[in-house]
Amino acid sequence: MNATLPRFFWSEYRKRRKKASLITFALFWGTLSVLLLMAFGRGMSTQFQVAFSGLGDTLIMVYGGQTSLEFEGLPKGRQIRLYPEDIDYLKDRVPEIMRIAPESYDYFQVSANGKEINRNVHGTTAEFGVMRTQVPQLGGRFLDADDVVEGRKVAFIGWKVAADLFGAGDPVGKQIVVNRIPFTVIGVLVKKIQDSMYNGPDADQVYLPFYAYQQIDNRRRINQIHIQPYDASQSKLIEERVRTLLGRKYRFDPDDRYATSFWNTIENNKDGMAVFKGIEIFLGIIGVLTLLIGAVGVTNLMYAVAKERTKEIGIKLAIGARRRVIVQQFFLETLFVFAKGTFWGCITAFNVVNLIRLAPINYDSFGIEAYLLRPVFSLQIFLVYMVILGVLVFLSGIFPAFRASRSNPIESLRYE
Amino acid sequence: MIELEGITKVYRAGSQSLEALRGISLGIGTGEFVSIMGPSGSGKSTLMNIIGCLDTPTAGEYVLDSDKVAGLTFDQLAAVRNRKIGFVFQNFNLLPYATAWENIELPMLFDGKGGRRRRERVTELLNAVGLYDWRDHRPSELSGGQQQRVALARALANDPPILLADEPTGNLDSKSGQEIMEILVELWKEGRTIVMVTHNDHIAARSGRIIRLFDGQVLS
Repeated sequence: MNATLPRFFWSEYRKRRKKASLITFALFWGTLSVLLLMAFGRGMSTQFQVAFSGLGDTLIMVYGGQTSLEFEGLPKGRQIRLYPEDIDYLKDRVPEIMRIAPESYDYFQVSANGKEINRNVHGTTAEFGVMRTQVPQLGGRFLDADDVVEGRKVAFIGWKVAADLFGAGDPVGKQIVVNRIPFTVIGVLVKKIQDSMYNGPDADQVYLPFYAYQQIDNRRRINQIHIQPYDASQSKLIEERVRTLLGRKYRFDPDDRYATSFWNTIENNKDGMAVFKGIEIFLGIIGVLTLLIGAVGVTNLMYAVAKERTKEIGIKLAIGARRRVIVQQFFLETLFVFAKGTFWGCITAFNVVNLIRLAPINYDSFGIEAYLLRPVFSLQIFLVYMVILGVLVFLSGIFPAFRASRSNPIESLRYE
Repeated sequence: MIELEGITKVYRAGSQSLEALRGISLGIGTGEFVSIMGPSGSGKSTLMNIIGCLDTPTAGEYVLDSDKVAGLTFDQLAAVRNRKIGFVFQNFNLLPYATAWENIELPMLFDGKGGRRRRERVTELLNAVGLYDWRDHRPSELSGGQQQRVALARALANDPPILLADEPTGNLDSKSGQEIMEILVELWKEGRTIVMVTHNDHIAARSGRIIRLFDGQVLS
């Protein structure tokens, strides 16, 4: 192909660009709609997962309870309580446990800066921070092993506690008083989405080193134990072994489901993940259907426009155009229109997604906007979309020209 | 130049078939101006399309310039239409979105001729048909006579030895028709082979020979 023909194709395209602009716009709009739909779907699913992991990562929580079965001559209805030494007892006997932490809590008056509030105050260890996604804001940290062992008077606080006591100021290094004992704030929790919780969101909590907490709460028992396995698939096994071990220690029937209770977030997560997957698949189906509807529109339009040019093809063939020239021209025009429409559709979708992501989310109420305002632009989806639409568009745009170029010119010339 | 032997053309539509040409044999020599006449449906245009390589016969042999047309590939036929034959249609068949200049230039583009040669030839042809000042106008902005002159200039772009005209004056007023005929006669005098389909006896009278068709067969 010499350089004259592409120039000729370009000049012909420019003459027809008003007609082509309709197809370009259809491609632009289709691309924008499908990409936005998929971005919102992906974003919702991602936010669900983020919210779900707000409580913690592969976490099993163990609580005490009341026996419901008689055991070795002991009556039913006995209270089973957990104690700090259970941590080492379980850790030493269940090798599948990666991390384990005690947690005690109660309601206390917390004051600072001349303000007084009542909040849940917890005593725990450093490992709790990792298991329960207690990520500190910049310039702070969570409790560490030394804080716990030495019983340091330090505190890690939720961002709402920080806001209630210190306003917009930085609380790190400042003092809060819990039950008349002063603690130095060492870190503030980052804002996070959390859709499952006990005793309210982590934003409203105060965390102290376990032994320091025992100085304000003289009960020896602990409220719950947090366990993280090496392998999430072993969570059921761990649950069984912990129940058996505690049964042996506190003398209850290992089959007694009420003597202790478990909150196995790994098992719950499985259900959650099924829901997320379901949402993604559902939106994927909607995306495919939208794509097909769009593709039908675009391909119809392209087919009609290409068909309309049958006579033009006939004229060109009659004055000596080769078959290749005809097909090349339609191919290049389709390529150009397709690239233009999808390019602008993609750029616009990308910018709309990023613009929406700038919108603030209210972490206090964690309403619907937290799910809607964080769409995720996916290059993968874009590429799949391009391939499917590309095939359809090229078939519809070039097929009539291809067919017309293979018949006798007179047949195309007669087309009205 | 043009030799047809037993040319038959059958159109089929479902179970119906229509025999448009029934074994036509004729020869047209170099430099002849032949008119093909006959009533509607006698197969004039079908014959013309076969001579112009726009259509293929169902049976028979067509030899153009000592080449058997049936043996040519699609692209070889395109080359024949591009260089050997100029076609003028009753309804002009100009590209509606292209200017007079661009329409005339097209056959040369398909022949791969360079920009300078194209410019010179288009200028020459536009002057010859008296439309140089109308070169930037589209077909819709030209009269029927002007459009047919553009179509004639396009047919001559690659200087083909054969010119085929299918009722070239059929859609024109008598004055415009006369002008087109003057040009055709002039081209004949220059040595070109011309085959023209017409209904009009006066117009046919200006050609060198008349072939009459009736019901797909040659009468005389």
